[in-house]
Amino acid sequence: MKDNKLTANIIENIKQYHITEQDILSVCPIDISAEGEYILGYTFLTKEYIGVCTSTVPENYTHYFRGTKVHSKKEEEDFAEYSVTLYDLKKMEHLHVERAIGAVSVTAEYDDESTRIASLSNTYLEQMNLFVRHAKNIKKGKDLDADIPVKEAEEENEEDLYCPICGTMYPDATKKICPKCTNKSTIFMRVLKYFFRYKFQIAILFLTYAVFAVVGIAWPYLSGTVLFDKVLENDPEFLQRFGLGGKYILALGLLALVMVGCRVITMVTDMVQMSLMAKIATSTVRDIKSDVFSAMSRLSLNFFTSKQTGGLMTRVISDSSRVTDFFIDGIPSIIIQGVTIIITFAVMYRLNWKMALIACILLPLLVFMTIKLRPGLWSLSGKRHRAEKAVSSKANDNLTGARVVKAFGQEDAELERFVRPNNNLKEAEINIVKLRNRFTILYNLVQEISSIWIWIIGVFFVLKTHEIELGVLITFVGYVSQLNGPMNFFSRVFRMWTESINAAQRLFEIIDSIPEIAEKENSVRLIKPRGEIELENVTFGYTVSKNVLKGINLKVKEGEMLGIVGRSGAGKSTLVNLISRLYDVKEGSIKIDGTDVKDLSLADLRKNVAMVSQDTYIFMGSVAKNIAYGNEGASREEIIRAAKLASAHDFISKMPDGYDTIIGASGKDLSGGERQRISIARAILANPKILILDEATASVDTETEKAIQNSLKYLVKGRTTLSIAHRLSTLRDADRLIVIDRGRIVEEGTHDELDKIEDGIFHKLNELQNKSLSVSSF
Amino acid sequence: MADNNSMNIYEKEAEEMTAMRKITKQNKFERTEGGFINLTFDGVTYERVKVVRLFPFTDANKYISIRQNDDKAREIGIIEDMDELDDDTRSMLEEQLRLNYFTPVIEKIHNIKDEYGYAYFHVKTDKGECKFAINMASNAVTKLSDSRLIITDLDENRFEIRDVNALTQKERRKLDLFL
Repeated sequence: MKDNKLTANIIENIKQYHITEQDILSVCPIDISAEGEYILGYTFLTKEYIGVCTSTVPENYTHYFRGTKVHSKKEEEDFAEYSVTLYDLKKMEHLHVERAIGAVSVTAEYDDESTRIASLSNTYLEQMNLFVRHAKNIKKGKDLDADIPVKEAEEENEEDLYCPICGTMYPDATKKICPKCTNKSTIFMRVLKYFFRYKFQIAILFLTYAVFAVVGIAWPYLSGTVLFDKVLENDPEFLQRFGLGGKYILALGLLALVMVGCRVITMVTDMVQMSLMAKIATSTVRDIKSDVFSAMSRLSLNFFTSKQTGGLMTRVISDSSRVTDFFIDGIPSIIIQGVTIIITFAVMYRLNWKMALIACILLPLLVFMTIKLRPGLWSLSGKRHRAEKAVSSKANDNLTGARVVKAFGQEDAELERFVRPNNNLKEAEINIVKLRNRFTILYNLVQEISSIWIWIIGVFFVLKTHEIELGVLITFVGYVSQLNGPMNFFSRVFRMWTESINAAQRLFEIIDSIPEIAEKENSVRLIKPRGEIELENVTFGYTVSKNVLKGINLKVKEGEMLGIVGRSGAGKSTLVNLISRLYDVKEGSIKIDGTDVKDLSLADLRKNVAMVSQDTYIFMGSVAKNIAYGNEGASREEIIRAAKLASAHDFISKMPDGYDTIIGASGKDLSGGERQRISIARAILANPKILILDEATASVDTETEKAIQNSLKYLVKGRTTLSIAHRLSTLRDADRLIVIDRGRIVEEGTHDELDKIEDGIFHKLNELQNKSLSVSSF
Repeated sequence: MADNNSMNIYEKEAEEMTAMRKITKQNKFERTEGGFINLTFDGVTYERVKVVRLFPFTDANKYISIRQNDDKAREIGIIEDMDELDDDTRSMLEEQLRLNYFTPVIEKIHNIKDEYGYAYFHVKTDKGECKFAINMASNAVTKLSDSRLIITDLDENRFEIRDVNALTQKERRKLDLFL
C-alpha cells in the first residue's frame, strides 16, 4: 500500500521545526501506537532527522487494508492534530524493522538506549523496509536510492494501483485484476470459448433441441384439438383441407401414424442428443483440465506449498466437470425452453386468449420464488464445495500419514477426526437438498394449483358458456402441463449457472495465477556452460516477515566442489533451491557464468543444474524410465552405466523384472537407499554442469554410502558441485567448505582450516560427530 | 574411562537442555525509556527481552517464554502463570504482548462480499472499524476451534473472531462461506 506523501496539515505542523516540504526525502505511514491501538501517523525522513507524527483516530474512522481502499480524485482533508517527535539521525544506530506476530516495530539504538521508534501493521511493512533503507543510506551519506533494487525503488504511479473502472485498489498490484470488475459474464465468455472448438457438434445439438421443441409444441395440439375436435368430431372442413373429405378412418389412421412418427423422431433425437452431449462435455472437460494442469506445472513451488494438495485435486477433477454442466445442459435448454414457452403462449393465446390469461395468472409467483431463493443456493453451493475440500484434505492428510497413524495406533482417533468434516459435508449436502426440495415442492404446488385451476375454468367454459370445446380444453391442459418442464428447468438453471460459474472462477484463478518464476523474454541461452556460480548479497525468505538467507556472498569456481555445512534450518537447502531457481531471490543476484539466473532460459538452467535432494521422488513407471527422467533419449547402455555409477545396478538386476520393474506409487516399494540411488543415477544421466547434492546420501547405510561416495567422486569430476551434508565425513573431498548459520555464511575454508577454529561451529560439529562415532563403536 | 566422561558430559548437556528455568515474582523486570523491558535473572541483567506466548490461542496468559534479544533468541526462562506476578510487572509484560500479538477482535460483521477469488470484509473490531480483503485460495481463515477463527488479510494482518456463536444469525450467515 503506497501512501507516500505527507498531508498538507502535517507539512504545516512541522514548519515550526524549520522543515519544509522540499526537505522531506521519504515517507511511510504508520498505524499502531506503542499501546497497541490504531492511530493515524507518518514517519518522514530529512537529511538530519527521522520524524514521527502520530494522532489518535477520529471517531467512526475506518481503517482500510490492502485491496479495499477506493481511490478518490481529490485529496482527503486531514484535520487531525499530530504530535511530532524528531529523532536525530546522528544519534541513531542499528535502525531496523522487527516483525512480531501482529505488528511491525521500527527500533533503533537512540542515544545508546534501545528505542521503539514506531509501530505499524503489516500493510506498510514493505514500504517501511524501503523507508529504513532510505534512512540508512542518508545516514551513511549515500544517495537516497543507493543499493536498492530498482524494482523496489521505483515509485509506482499511485493510480496504477487502483482499478480504473471502480477505483478499488487491486488486491495484488502485480496482477492488476480487479475482483469486483471481473464479473460473471466475462467468466462466462471465457468458458464459452472452450466450447467454440466444437462448433459443428454444438450446431447439431441445437438442431436436436429445436426438433424437440417443435414436436413438443405440436403434440398437445395433435392429441387435443386435432384428435378430439377435428378428426373424432369428423369436421368436414378440416378433413377437406387435407383432401380426406369423408375418409374418416383413413384420417384417423394417418393422425395415428403422424403421432407415432412424432414419438419416433423424439426418441431418435434423444439418442443423438445424448451422445453429442457426452462427447462435447467430456472433450471440454478434458481441455479445461489440461489447461489447468499446464498452468499448475508452470507455477512456482510457492503455490503448492501455500495450498493443500487435497484442495487442488478437488479443483482440477470435480470443478472442471461442474463447469460444463451448465454450458452443455443449460445454455441450449435456456434458448429452446425459452422459445418453447413463448410459442406455447402464442398458440394458447391464438386458441383462446381468455384461457391463456387464466393459465398465466400464477406465473409471476414462480418468478418471484426463483429470485427469492437464488442467493441462498449460491452460498450453499459454495459451502458444500468447501466442505468437500475439507474432506478430501483430511483424507489426503490421513493417507499420506498412514505410517505414523499406524505406528501410534491412532486409527480410531483419526476416524473420529474424519467424522467431523465428513459430517459437515453431509450437512452441507442436506442443506442444499432441503432448500432445493422446499423450492421444488412449492413450485410443484403452484403448478398443480394452476393445472386444477385450468380444469375448473375450462369445464365451466365448456359446459356453461360453450365458449370452447372439449378438445381445446385438453390441448390447454396439455400445454400447461408441458410448461411445467421449462418452468422447472428455469428454477434449476440458476443452480447450474451458479455452480458452473463458481467452479469456472476457481479454475481460472489457477490458470490466471502468474508464475512467480517466469522466463524473461529474450532469455539468454546457456550453451556449453562453464559452471561458475556467483552469489551477490543474496537475501531470501519464504514469507515477507522472515528472511532465511541474509546477505550471502559466495563465489564457486568452475569445477570446484563446495561443501555446505550447518545446523538444520540454517538455510542450506534454501540456498541451493535458489541456485536452481525454484524460488527467486528477494534481494541481490545469483549469476551463473556471469549471467543472472533470472535472465537465463529456464530450460537451459534446469538442464545444466541437476539436484539430488533429500526427498527423492519416484514417478510411476519402470526403473529405466525413472532413471531416464528428463532425458528421454538415453540409450539402454547409458542407463545401465548411470545405474552402475550410482551403485544401483546390482539391486536393480536382482529384481525379477530388472530395469522394467514398475516402481512408484502403484508399483514395487523401494527402500529409502534404493530410491536415493535411483535419483543419483538420474542426475548422472542428466550430465549437468552444475550438480547439487542435498543430503544425497542421508538415507543409506554406511557401506552403501561408501559405494556411492566413490561413484560421486567420479560424478563430480569436471562439474561444479555443491554438496550439503550433515555427516562431515562426506565432505572430505570438498575443495572448500562453508558453514551457514542463521542465514549467514559464518565460516569458510578447507576442512582442516575450519577445524582449527576452536570456537567455530564446524570444529564443534566435527568433534561431536567424532565423539559419537567413538561412543557408538564402544 | 574417557568414554565414560564424555557420556557424563552428554547427560549433563541433555539435562541442561531440558531444564525449565522458571521466572517468578522474585525476578525483576524493568521498563526502559525506549519502550522495552529488562530482566534481571540469576544475577544477570538481560536488556530488552523478548516476550513470547507459548500457547497464544489456548492459554495466552500461561507459559510465557522470556528470551534474549539477539539472533539466537535464547530462552532465559518461562513464566508459568502471569496471574502470579505482581500487577506492575504484569501490566509491563502485557504491554509488550499487546503490541507483539496485535490482533483486532471482530465484534460485528457489517458485510462480507465474495468476489472472484477474494472476499471483502467490512467489520467492527475492538480497535475500530476495519475494511480488509482476504485471498480465498490461500488458507486465510484458520479455524482454531468450531467457533473461533483467525482471519489473515492480504498482508498477513490478523483478525480474530472469538466466538462465532456470539454473533447474530445474520452475521453468521455472512460468515457461512468460511464455517
